[in-house]
Amino acid sequence: MRKELRLWAERLAERAREARLTFPPVLFEEVGPEEMAMLAAYGGFPRRYPHWRWGSEYLRYRETYRYGLGRIYELVVNTLPVQAYLLRGNTLLAQKVVMAHVYAHADFFQNNLAFKPIPKDMLSEMAHHAAYVERAMERHGARSVEEFLDMALSLENLIDPHAPYVQRPLGEEEKEAPKRLPVRPYLDPYVNPPPEPPKEAEEGASPKPLPPRPTRDILGFLAQHAPLAPWQKGILEILREESLYFAPQAATKILNEGWATYWHTKLLLPLLAPEEAVEFAEMQANLLAPHGLNPYRLGYHLLKEVEERWDKGRFGPEYEALPLGERLRYERPTGEGRKKLFQVRTVYTDLNFLEEFLTPEFALRRGLVSPEDLPRFAEAKKALLFRLTNLGYPIVELLDANHQNRGELLLAHAYEGVELDLRKTKAVLENLHRLWGRPVHLKTVVGGKETLLSAP
Amino acid sequence: MRPIERDLLRFKEIVRGEVKKRAREFLTREELFGQVEGRLVSIPLPQLEIPKIVHGEPLGEGLGLGGPGEEALGPGGHIPVAELELEEFLDLVGEALRLPRLRPKGEGEVTEEAFRHTTIARKGPRGLRHVRRTLKESLKRALQSGEYRPEDPLLVPEREDLRYKAPRRKPIPHAQAVVLFALDVSGSMREEELRLVKTLSFWITLWIKRHFPRLERRYLLHDAEAWEVPEEEFFKAREGGGTRISSALLLAEEILKAYPEAFYNRYLYHFSDGENWQGDTPLALEALKRLLPTLALYGYAQVQGPYGRGHFLDDLQENLGGQEGLATAEVRGREDLPAALRRLLGG
Repeated sequence: MRKELRLWAERLAERAREARLTFPPVLFEEVGPEEMAMLAAYGGFPRRYPHWRWGSEYLRYRETYRYGLGRIYELVVNTLPVQAYLLRGNTLLAQKVVMAHVYAHADFFQNNLAFKPIPKDMLSEMAHHAAYVERAMERHGARSVEEFLDMALSLENLIDPHAPYVQRPLGEEEKEAPKRLPVRPYLDPYVNPPPEPPKEAEEGASPKPLPPRPTRDILGFLAQHAPLAPWQKGILEILREESLYFAPQAATKILNEGWATYWHTKLLLPLLAPEEAVEFAEMQANLLAPHGLNPYRLGYHLLKEVEERWDKGRFGPEYEALPLGERLRYERPTGEGRKKLFQVRTVYTDLNFLEEFLTPEFALRRGLVSPEDLPRFAEAKKALLFRLTNLGYPIVELLDANHQNRGELLLAHAYEGVELDLRKTKAVLENLHRLWGRPVHLKTVVGGKETLLSAP
Repeated sequence: MRPIERDLLRFKEIVRGEVKKRAREFLTREELFGQVEGRLVSIPLPQLEIPKIVHGEPLGEGLGLGGPGEEALGPGGHIPVAELELEEFLDLVGEALRLPRLRPKGEGEVTEEAFRHTTIARKGPRGLRHVRRTLKESLKRALQSGEYRPEDPLLVPEREDLRYKAPRRKPIPHAQAVVLFALDVSGSMREEELRLVKTLSFWITLWIKRHFPRLERRYLLHDAEAWEVPEEEFFKAREGGGTRISSALLLAEEILKAYPEAFYNRYLYHFSDGENWQGDTPLALEALKRLLPTLALYGYAQVQGPYGRGHFLDDLQENLGGQEGLATAEVRGREDLPAALRRLLGG
């Protein structure tokens, strides 16, 4: 990296630390547009398992850049050390903004609780996954592995985002089981072979239900119980692991971008040379432009709001009791804004962040709603929160893997007033059926009526 | 190869495979017709979608909180579209339908000039400096002035030694082509038949253009008389009187005079129901015998209307069958199109 950039990186890191941000070392690397397109397609990683969809994404990013329709300024990967990419050829100011922005992301990755259970060595983990899939392709044929990947990828979102937190007390069965050696999931069946099945079920004993309790971790369940070849189970584990890795990022997009924007603004403003002011203002305006749901804009303004409210003491039961009109005039200087911000950064995700701080006062002041629309605010907010629930995906649970004692899968969609895309859902059920080898059913609501979708 | 290149290649391979598989379907896709003037052809390829269980209707109400169906957050749901360059698309369809490659006749007129850096100049931009030639000049000068010492062969180029690569105009002969479409409007062409004609002429034009980027198009209509029309008039349904096929051929001969055989690949396509006046057929055949050797191809497509099958196709084959440059096809419906297209292009 150029010396000038390196100096700025150090200087900004120092500033960020003075502002009490805490982050692991950050590696910056300048890359050209093609490489940036590649990294963006690969989700920030230099290597992923072979699949055509990366190629399709890559093409899209590359053409978007080529026709001047958009460029990726920044790319940051949640690993240890944090890896960040800058687009070569951007102005020095743009690079400074991005670096400050990245430090705040790094702080967020390290401190936000949603990221606690996420492995930090994903860079090598992804490379392992790539090698695993490549090896499978060599052994079993590229086309058959690809076909399986296409099928498995359609189940990519059938995970339980909370799975990494779950620590169930050991059941009786597990207590007796021999000690399992901790290895990579796809090696597991080799190192820790599954126990011998009991010879004969005891007379009269009712068989244990499978899964023992309804689970959202359908990908994990299939990896363990579907009648698949070891390499196929390995691929399911890989996809599950990668989905779980990306889940917290998707769940904190607004908060994380808001946090990073808040801090790059705070850190850079005092360092700005007079001749940089206009360019900086222009970049900010673009970044915070009101197009659709711009996570930078919403996150940034919400955080500013939180800071202001806690600076002016606009919280607590006394404040809450006030009617809407008076709340805006309430003042009880406490100066706790910054402290509150750090707390928000640590314990919130988008869902509860918006739930708590996206208030009618805020929406009114920011012009998100006009006063006459205010009665509809609650409804719109509910819809927005719904879109953030479970990363916007429907919640689907696996109820029974031995439905009606015929070894069929029974899933249930937790219907919340929005129906499923039937065409796609049916296609997914077909895939699920091919993986499971037995019929698959999904309880959901179609056209207002409870329906059981089945494949085949 | 970088991994991403591998993924990109695989992606393109899948797209190409799909296009080839569905080539016949594209042949009659009229919404494609509008697009082809542009450089890229967008083709919806649902096969490229990885289905997921997602919500059906767009979620929620907009207000200032972001509209519904926003892509920024949450999974979007549209059918994937692959974009292909027109040439590539045509080649794939051509390959799948086994359309023949068209070979240009003759060199054609010189219509383009290209600049190639094939010569040397004394002046030029620094980036084009020719090091070897510069040093050679420098060496010559050193030898002449006696400064050159073989034990210490140091050459210092001076201003007059500098040599640069320089461009030279190079003429590129460019094969040219003209295609002339003639349509028999004597009664029996209805909407459905016209649509077949339109599809055929559209693909014929594209395919010829693929081989001859400079393609001129002319259109003529005939019943008992023939007259030229602009392209947009050509496909309008209309009724006419009797039929004299020779009238079209004579007019074609007249029009083609503007495109000398030596410089142009001349294509003539004729769509008719084949019902000709008996007395006219010898005249038409005679005109054709004259015309045929000067054409790259004479394609005759007999479109079968509701009033039975015409005779001209049989007459043609009887008298001129097997002659080079003659391509005939009979079209009864859409399912005949791929084969007809192939035959009309000389395949």
